[in-house]
Amino acid sequence: MPNQSGNVYGLTVLSPILNGADGGVSHDCAIRDYLAKLPRDQRSPFAKVSSTHLARLVVMEDVVFVGTPAREEHLQSKYLVFETNFDGDLDTYLTRLARDAAEEVHAVWQHCVGYPGVEDPAAFAAYMKKCQIETTFFFAAVNNKTVQQTLRALKVQSGLAHFIESNQGKSAGEIQAAFRGFLEKVRHAPEPPAGEDEGHPHG
Amino acid sequence: MTNINGKTYAMNAITPMNAFYTPILKLIFFILGHVKPLQADLIQLSFIHFARWVVVKRHQFPRLSEKQPQEQLHYDYLLFFSNFNGSWNQYIDAFADVLSNGLNLIWRWSARYPGARPVTDFKRYIGLVQFDTDYYYTAYPRATTNDVKAAHRVSAALEEFARNSKDMAPAEFGGAYLRLVTQVQMDLGATGIGPVGA
Repeated sequence: MPNQSGNVYGLTVLSPILNGADGGVSHDCAIRDYLAKLPRDQRSPFAKVSSTHLARLVVMEDVVFVGTPAREEHLQSKYLVFETNFDGDLDTYLTRLARDAAEEVHAVWQHCVGYPGVEDPAAFAAYMKKCQIETTFFFAAVNNKTVQQTLRALKVQSGLAHFIESNQGKSAGEIQAAFRGFLEKVRHAPEPPAGEDEGHPHG
Repeated sequence: MTNINGKTYAMNAITPMNAFYTPILKLIFFILGHVKPLQADLIQLSFIHFARWVVVKRHQFPRLSEKQPQEQLHYDYLLFFSNFNGSWNQYIDAFADVLSNGLNLIWRWSARYPGARPVTDFKRYIGLVQFDTDYYYTAYPRATTNDVKAAHRVSAALEEFARNSKDMAPAEFGGAYLRLVTQVQMDLGATGIGPVGA
């Protein structure tokens, strides 16, 4: 199935954006204004839907004219492109999106044709599937690990590096005792938050 | 507009394609998807988290209401989405260097595609057909693709070591610990903030 690589699903959705304006602002501009202010870190709506590896939203205004002798043509509608890479199956993901990120989903997709709202997550999932374009070829560098497994592995990696550094020159017995403590800490560590980027605060 | 989040760049491109060529391109992708050795170069590039090509046929743009104007297009369109580490220039250069044959096989059906080499013409074309991202999220912004692969190797090695060293005497533990350090030392590079402009 071309939408999937291993355990990762590559969803591509093109939602037609309403023509005209809402309160003097065109619907595509309203989407862009909202997205510009939406946090991209652990406060992101996609961090709430924790199976999301990477996701993007793009207002596609038109197709591209590449120059003569190609023919120049234009779209009749603008489209909201939703590209996301997540663990698990499509229905569960879309239902979670409608339920766990309801406010943000509504703020964006209310500007799209045929959007049914998020009150009924099954109706929202059906709507998104009507807008889905099947992926022709999907590549995932790591396709057998979940988001949580990856976040945990990254935490373990930095923890072990720190452990090795701080125990240099100690006796085998001391390292063994310290390692037991380190292992306990690793095993009982809370789930690392998704989207966290301490160095780049996003507003 | 925000093509970058942490160490990852979101690229979008759209190219017009004569509908006559669509079945040929789909066949190429089908073969690429089913003959894994053909993906070796893509895997070895190792700075792409996820990438996809999506063919949108000219009558396939979603129409959800009678009030929505019907698209009247001559071309089918090839959409390309990539999530990669590094700068745009590094990505296009590496793509053109390592995958020029593969790129040509995929994009030669698109109107006015100049070929992956020379790279100056290729970059001009990509610049023309690329469009910007409005919102970009990644669950692990501080990690590159190689960081993720390395972290999973370290995690697996640590689990194995923990299992095997459970009942060892200190002297034996010391030897095993040194072997663990030797095994994972190349995978312990720190993750963190990407360089400015990356």
